[in-house]
Amino acid sequence: MALRNKPTVALVTTQFWEQGNFVAEARGMPELPRVQLPHPVAGTGSDAMGELARRLAPQIIARLQGIETPAAA
Amino acid sequence: MSETSRLLEAENEAAALELLHANGCTDGLPVIIPTPARVERMALASGVDAELSLGSMGPGGGAATIEAIATNAVMAGCRPDDMPIVVAALTAMLDPAFDLGEMQGTTHATAPLIIVNGPMAHACGVACGFGALGPGHRANASIGRAVRLCMINIGMARPGQSDMALLGHGGKFTFCMAEDEASSPWEPLHTTHGYAVNDSAVTVIGAEPPHSVIFQNDADDPTSPDRLLKTLGATLANLGSNNAHFRIGMQTVVLNPEHAQVLADAQMSRADVQAKICEYAVNPTERIRELNPAFARSKTDVSHAVRRPEDVLVLVGGGSGLYSHVMPSWAAGAHSNVAVHAPIITDQACEIPGLSPST
Repeated sequence: MALRNKPTVALVTTQFWEQGNFVAEARGMPELPRVQLPHPVAGTGSDAMGELARRLAPQIIARLQGIETPAAA
Repeated sequence: MSETSRLLEAENEAAALELLHANGCTDGLPVIIPTPARVERMALASGVDAELSLGSMGPGGGAATIEAIATNAVMAGCRPDDMPIVVAALTAMLDPAFDLGEMQGTTHATAPLIIVNGPMAHACGVACGFGALGPGHRANASIGRAVRLCMINIGMARPGQSDMALLGHGGKFTFCMAEDEASSPWEPLHTTHGYAVNDSAVTVIGAEPPHSVIFQNDADDPTSPDRLLKTLGATLANLGSNNAHFRIGMQTVVLNPEHAQVLADAQMSRADVQAKICEYAVNPTERIRELNPAFARSKTDVSHAVRRPEDVLVLVGGGSGLYSHVMPSWAAGAHSNVAVHAPIITDQACEIPGLSPST
């Protein structure tokens, strides 16, 4: 999506943060916006995932708007 | 030495080995030091210009030049005669349909299985019988290892950083065998891709480690062939496999010669075997819903682990006896794990008597 110039933000859990950085660099997109999630997310239950979505939504929207935010989960 | 290569310097070979280990350039085992002279000799055996790149290798995007491949082939212990097989395997794996970069990064336990067919398998001594995927076969060990070292050093797959396999897989050291064409009752595997019998070619498919499938034939029981096929199908569809849940992707079946003959004696072709295994590789959808509801996507009562017969890659190999083997797959990536293939080019600089252009 980023290569097609679509506004993009990658959601990456802590366990895969280093891999995300590696792939972004390798694909020539080191500045690709990324937001860090705790690990794991899948399987944590709908309440926990809903709470995480509410907490991170402003950060995701900000990154889509080009506003720098802290990466920490 | 090309402009894209980097020459490391060390006092002696022991120091060079430590340097390669320290730089993460090995698979953890000792390697042959790739001196410029050794690399040049290996590259020459490819018959292709050392500067030629087969493509960029994911996930790191390094250029798979013949020189870089030769460097890793030296490290792996290949002989120059093995080099055309290594080049063919990498040519196949760089087909975009193989999704190599994505496969390298997955958390799943998958590795490229290299299957060699044709005269080069015999000429290079690629084993196809007892323990073909185990230790003790120089060509199998070094060719597969060369491919893996390319994946590490050109593709930049490093455990926990860019190769995210949660536990790994013994076949990530080396995973190469020949098909036992002499014992197979069917046409050689590579001819199903359009090659002639006397061509040499590799087939590469992402595969889990071999799962053993026990089966005792009973010549007095006319249902015996069908029971064998049902056992193979049930093992492919095991409820822990990705295929059982995602219901896509090619899977591998290695029939030992005895089991293959049981099916051939029942007048079954390779295509017949593929169709029956596809038919029998099923689970009740309710069982998947019970164990893994997040993946219970089938709208019917039965979930097929194989989408279509041609997604079962059937070959003959291993020693004769009770056990055949199946290898479920990753079943993911843009192309869902497809087998790829490439010819082994032997008419350029091959030095094997009987195969080289000068003999």
